[in-house]
Amino acid sequence: MKKAIVYIISFCILWGCKEKFNAKIISPPTGYLVVEGFISSGANATKISLTRTVKLYDVVNTVYEHGAVINIESETNELFPLNETADSVYTSGNLALDNTKKYRLHIITRDSKVYVSDFATFKTTPVIDSVSWARENGGVKIYVNTHDLLNSTKYYKWDYEETWEFHSPYYNSLVYQYDATGIPIAVGFKFPDHSIDTTIHKCWNTVGSTNINIGSSEKLSQNIIQSPLTYIEPSSVKLSVLYSINVHQYSVSHEAYIFFQNIKKNTENLGSIFDAQPTELQGNIHCVSDPSEIVIGYIDISEETTKRIFISNDEVPGWGYGTKCAVVIVDNQRDSILRNGVGLWPTIPFSLFPLGGVKQFYATGERSCVDCTVNGSSQRPIFWP
Amino acid sequence: MLLKRLVPMFFTCSFLFAFSVLRAQDKSGMPNVSGDFKNISVENFLLQLEKQTGYHLYFDAGQIDSVTVNLSVKNESLAEVLKQAFNNTKLEFSVDNANNIFITKGLVIQTELPNGFFNTARNNKNENRNDTSVDIYSYNDNKTQVAAQQNKLYTIGGNNPSNNSGRKTITGYVLDSKTAEPVIGASIHVDNSSVNTLTDQYGYYTISITGGRHSLSIQNIGMKDAKREVVVNGDGRFNIEMQSQIISLKNVVISTEKASNVRSLQMGEQRIDIKSIKQVPVVFGEADILRVVLTLPGVKSVGEASTGLNVRGGSTDQNLILFNDATIYNPSHFFGLFSAFNPEVIKDVELYKSSIPAKYGGRLSSVLEINGREGDKKNITGTAGIGLLTSRLTLEGPLVKDKSSFIIGARTTYANWLLNLLPEQYKNSKASFYDFNILVNHEIDKKNSLFLTAYMSKDNFNLNSDTTYNYGNNNISLKWKHIFNNSLYAVVTAGYDNYNYNITSRSVAINAYKLGFDVNQENFKAHFNYFASSKHTVEFGMDNILYKLHPGTYEPQGKSSLVVPDIMQKEQGLESALFISDKYTVTSAFSVEGGIRYSMFNVLGPDSFNVYPSGVPKTVDNIVGTNYYGKNKFIKTYQGPEIRLSARYAFTDDFSVKAGYNTQRQYIHVLSNTAAEAPTDIWKLSDPNIKPQFGQQVSLGFYKNLKSNTIETSVEVYYKKIKDYLDYKSGAVLVLNHHIETDVISTKGKAYGVEVLIKKVTGKLNGWLSYTWSRTLLQANDISQGEIINAGKFYPANYDKPNDITFISNYRLNHRLSFSLNATYSTGRPITIPIGRFYYDNSYRTLYADRNSYRIPDYFRTDFSINLDGNHKIHQKLHNSWTVGVYNVTGRKNPYSVYFVSENGVVNGYKFSIFGSQIPFINFNIKF
Repeated sequence: MKKAIVYIISFCILWGCKEKFNAKIISPPTGYLVVEGFISSGANATKISLTRTVKLYDVVNTVYEHGAVINIESETNELFPLNETADSVYTSGNLALDNTKKYRLHIITRDSKVYVSDFATFKTTPVIDSVSWARENGGVKIYVNTHDLLNSTKYYKWDYEETWEFHSPYYNSLVYQYDATGIPIAVGFKFPDHSIDTTIHKCWNTVGSTNINIGSSEKLSQNIIQSPLTYIEPSSVKLSVLYSINVHQYSVSHEAYIFFQNIKKNTENLGSIFDAQPTELQGNIHCVSDPSEIVIGYIDISEETTKRIFISNDEVPGWGYGTKCAVVIVDNQRDSILRNGVGLWPTIPFSLFPLGGVKQFYATGERSCVDCTVNGSSQRPIFWP
Repeated sequence: MLLKRLVPMFFTCSFLFAFSVLRAQDKSGMPNVSGDFKNISVENFLLQLEKQTGYHLYFDAGQIDSVTVNLSVKNESLAEVLKQAFNNTKLEFSVDNANNIFITKGLVIQTELPNGFFNTARNNKNENRNDTSVDIYSYNDNKTQVAAQQNKLYTIGGNNPSNNSGRKTITGYVLDSKTAEPVIGASIHVDNSSVNTLTDQYGYYTISITGGRHSLSIQNIGMKDAKREVVVNGDGRFNIEMQSQIISLKNVVISTEKASNVRSLQMGEQRIDIKSIKQVPVVFGEADILRVVLTLPGVKSVGEASTGLNVRGGSTDQNLILFNDATIYNPSHFFGLFSAFNPEVIKDVELYKSSIPAKYGGRLSSVLEINGREGDKKNITGTAGIGLLTSRLTLEGPLVKDKSSFIIGARTTYANWLLNLLPEQYKNSKASFYDFNILVNHEIDKKNSLFLTAYMSKDNFNLNSDTTYNYGNNNISLKWKHIFNNSLYAVVTAGYDNYNYNITSRSVAINAYKLGFDVNQENFKAHFNYFASSKHTVEFGMDNILYKLHPGTYEPQGKSSLVVPDIMQKEQGLESALFISDKYTVTSAFSVEGGIRYSMFNVLGPDSFNVYPSGVPKTVDNIVGTNYYGKNKFIKTYQGPEIRLSARYAFTDDFSVKAGYNTQRQYIHVLSNTAAEAPTDIWKLSDPNIKPQFGQQVSLGFYKNLKSNTIETSVEVYYKKIKDYLDYKSGAVLVLNHHIETDVISTKGKAYGVEVLIKKVTGKLNGWLSYTWSRTLLQANDISQGEIINAGKFYPANYDKPNDITFISNYRLNHRLSFSLNATYSTGRPITIPIGRFYYDNSYRTLYADRNSYRIPDYFRTDFSINLDGNHKIHQKLHNSWTVGVYNVTGRKNPYSVYFVSENGVVNGYKFSIFGSQIPFINFNIKF
C-alpha cells in the first residue's frame, strides 16, 4: 500500500505544468512608435526615449527612432525643445514650467508624421519618507513608504536601481593568456612581488527594476503608502557584503496609473487560471496624421524624488550566502596537472621550492571564483561608502 | 456461491410446475350447469353461464364473434361445459380463485403467480392482504392501486363496465418497487394506440385512454421494462411499481418501443442518469455531473480549469442551473476543477439547449436541471466513499414509512496534501471545500406532497499569495405539489438562493482589506399542469424572483489598516413572468408545442444611476448627472414576450423530424475579463445603463433509431443570435467600480453549428459518440459605445472551438466488472497573443491588438477506468465497490493557456497545462 501511495504522489508532482512555448508565431512587422518618459516638473531635465515596436520574434532587439523633432508644448504655445543626447534619448534643458499651465509633447518623426500627447496638468511629487525592509521567509522584502499631507497625489509609480558589492571567494595573483576561443593557455604572475591582485577581488553590480511598480492611496483613509518593491531571495549574492537600493518616486495621474496597470496586467500578470486576458493598450499619445495608428506610451508631468538605503550583511544574520567554488592543490608538474588540473584555474601558489618556483598551487573550477569582474564591475560607485 | 444462486432458481421452476397441475384439478370444484344452447353466439352463451353460476366471465367480443355454440348439457361442471363448447375452436379459458373466468383466443391467461415470485417486502405484504389476484378499487374509494405485478389484470375506475364509452383519465406515480422513489421520465405507452406519455420530475403521469381493456408498457433506463394489463371503467388513479435492473439475464431482449427520443416533442434535450455519470472516468475519480454534461454535443468549456458550461455558443452565465428548483450561481469547487454537486444525492441531470419549455426563463442558452434523489422510504441506508481528494457520506431513510423520507449528503476535501506536492511556485497555495445537502419529501395525503431541498457549499483557497478567497452557495427551496383532480395539478415553490464570496488580504498591514460580494434571490413560483384532453396538455403559471445584490463591500482588516470602507449601493430588481404553453398532439405522427412567456424586470430603488447623453460613449467624462431613487421605487422596467415553439413529425416509428424556435431574455449578467469563469466574477443586474440580453434560436433536428431502437442517432442544426451580450473594454476595472457601465460594451453575437449524436443505451457495451461543429462569433462595432473591438469585425468568443468529438463508453464484462473509456478531441480555444514587442520600463513588453486571433494547440485526452463491484448478494449488510483509473492516459500536455510574460527584461512564451501527465486515481465506496 505504501508503494502505491508513493507511486500516485510521483505522478501528481507533475500536476499543473508550465513549459516554454516556442512555436514561432508569425507577427506582422508593426513598427509603431513607443514613447517613454515624463515631462519633468522638478529640477531634473526631461528625458524622452523613442523606439519602435518589433516583431515578437525578431533578430533586432530594439529599433531606435533617431532624428525626431520633439518639443514640450504649453497650452499657450510656448515651446521647449528636446535634443537627442544618446541613442534615441531626447533631453531638454533646464525647464521652468509654470505650475498653473498644462503641457504636452509634440513629436515629428523622420517620416514627417506628427504625434501629440494629451495635455497634462502640472504635478509635484512628495518626498519618499523611507525605504524600509523586513526579513520575510528568510529573504528580505523592501518597501517604499511615503505620504502626501496635501492629498494631491493619489497614484504613484516607482522604479529603482539595486547595487551590491560582492567579492570573489578566492584571491588570485596571476594573469592568464587565452587562446582565440577564450581558453587560458598560459599564466604568469600579475605583479613582480607575486602579491594578490586586489582589483579583481571586490566588485559591484547594478541592475534596474524590470517590473512596473505602482501604488495608490485611492482606497485608503490617509494618504499613506507602503508598497512592496522587491524581494531578495534568501542567500542571494546581493546581500553577501553590502547592498543598496535607490528608489525613484513619481506621482502620476489616474489615467497614467491605469495605463501602467494595464501594461503590468498584459505583460507581467498572466497565465494562471483566473488572470485577466490581455487587452489593447491605450495611452494618451495620438498620431495626428493617422488617428487610427497605434502609439504606445503615456506622457504625464511629474517630478522625480529619490531615496537610497544600504543594507549590510551584518544586518541579516544567518544570510547563508555561499558559492559553489572550491580549491584543490595541484603539484606543479606536467603529469600532476594533466591528471588533476585540466580545466581548472590556477590562483595562487600553495608552496614554493626553496630556490624559488612554484611547487604546488591552488586551482579552482570557475574563473568567477577568483575574478569578480566576470559578474560585475570593479569600478567603485561614487555613492558607495 | 454458484450453488446458492441456483437454489432459488430451482424453487421458482417447481412452483410453476405445481401451478399448472393445480389449474387442472380446480375444474372439478366448480358449480354445475344445465341448459340447451342451440346455435347461439358464444357471447350469448357466456352471458347465460354468467347468470347461472355467478362467475364473472371476461372476454373480448371481437375475438369470439365468429363462433357459435351447439350444445346441450345437464348438471355438468362449468369447466367441462366450457371445454365442450370450445372444442374445435381456438378459444381457451382460465379460472382464478375469485370466480373470474377469462376467455381468450389462442393463449391461456395465467391467472396467478406463486407467492414470493416478486421477492420484495411490499409485494409480500400485499400478498397477505389480498387473497384475490385481481384488486378492484374504484376511484371513488379514494384509494390508489399499486400495481407491481406484470400479468395481473387491474381494473381502474370502479367495477362497473357500463360506462366503457368515451375517454378516461388515469393518473398516478411510477415508483421504484425497492425504494418507493419516483421514477422520472419513464415512458408509458398504450399498446396499439398513439397514446404515449412521460412521467414528470415527481414520477407523476397522466394519460387519457378509451375505456376497456388495455396493455400499458412502461419503460425507463435502468429499470426493467414493465407491462400492466388494465381494464378501464372510468377515471382513476393507478400507481405502477417498476423494478430496477439489478440483474441482467443472459437473454436477448427485443424491444420496439425504446423510442422516446423519436417520439418526444422536445429537441435539444439530454438526460443522463447518475449511473451513467458514475461510469465516466474523471480526474481524481470524483464522479462529476458537469464534466459529464460537458461531453454532450453542443456543450463546451474553456478548459480543464473550468466547469463553466458554454452551451451552443452561450457564455457561462447564460445557463440556468437548477438543483431541485434552487438556482446555483457557482457550481464549482477547487479552482473550478470539480462541480459542486454530490453525486450521491443526485438522481439525474437534464439539459435543455434548444427548445426550452416556457416554464423556464431568465437565461439565454440553456437550462440544466439537476434532480435530487428521494430517500429510501422503507429502510435506513447510507453510502460512504473515499477518494484521493474527497470523502463522502450520505444517509437516507424514511421519516414516516412509505410516506416521507430524507437524504443527507456531505462531502469534504483534504486537498492540501496535493497542493503541497505542486511545483515551488504554488508551494504556499491552500484549498479546501465542503458541500452539504438535505433533501426531504413528505406525502401528506394522496393529493398533497412536500419537497424540501437545502444545499450549502463552501470553498476556501489561496493561489500562492497572501490573499485568501472564500466563496459559497446557500440554497433552500420548498415545493408543494397539489393534485386537484385527475387532469390538473399544481406545484408551488418558494425558495431562497444565495451566492457570496470574499477576498481577504493581510500582506501589508496598512492595506489589509476584506472585499465581500453577494447575490441573493427570493423565489416564488406557481406552476400548473392541466391535462385538457388526450390531445392537449397545457402548462401555465407564474414566476417571481426578487434579487438583492451587494456588489462590493470593501472594508479594512486589523487595527492598523488605513483602508476606507467602500460599500457599493445595494442593487435590487424584481423579475416576474407569466407563461402558458400547450402541447397539441394533432395526429399520432404530428404534434406541436407552443408557449409564450411574458417576462418583466423592474429595477428597484433605493439606488442611484449615472446619466449619459444618448449617442455618446458611456465614459466618466460624459456623465451629465446622477439620478437618485427612493426605496422600492420602480426605476426602470424592461419587458417583453418570449416565444417557445416546437413541432415534430414522425415519418415512421423510428424516424422523426423536429423543429423549434425560441427567444429568451436575461436580466442578470456576469461581468468577467478572465478566460475561465472565476469565483470572483461580478454578477450585475440590468439597470438603466445596462440592457437585458436577448437571444433567439432556430433549430432543426433529425432523429432516427436503429437496431430495434437500441441505437439512437440524431443530427441537430441551430442558428442563434444574441443581442446586448456584455463584453469588457480594454483595461476594464470590474471590481468596486461605481460606474461599471463605462467599462463594458454591449456586443452582438451569433452562433451556429451542427451536432451529431450516436448513442447506444442498452447492452453490455453502451455509451455515446458526439460530434459538434460550431462557431461562436461576437461583434462590437458601435463606435458610440466608446470602443470597437477588432476593427468592428466579428471575432471568435473565448470558447469558440469549432470541432469537438467525444466518445464515452462502458463495457460490462460481467455483473461485477466493467470498463470505461473516454476520448475527447477539440480544436484549441482562441486566445489573444502579442502581435509584437517593445521596450518599456527596462523590459521588453508585449503588444496586443487583435482579440482572440490565435488558437492554442488542439486538445486531446483519453481516460480509462475499471469499476469493480463487490458481490451482489442482496441480503448482506454492506455493498462495496472500487473504481480505479487513469485520467489522461496518453499523458498529453494539453494546454490550458499560452501566454507571454516579461521576466527580468525579456519576453518569454509559456504553455500552461492543468494536468500535464497521467493522473491515476482510486475510489472506494461502501453502501450500507
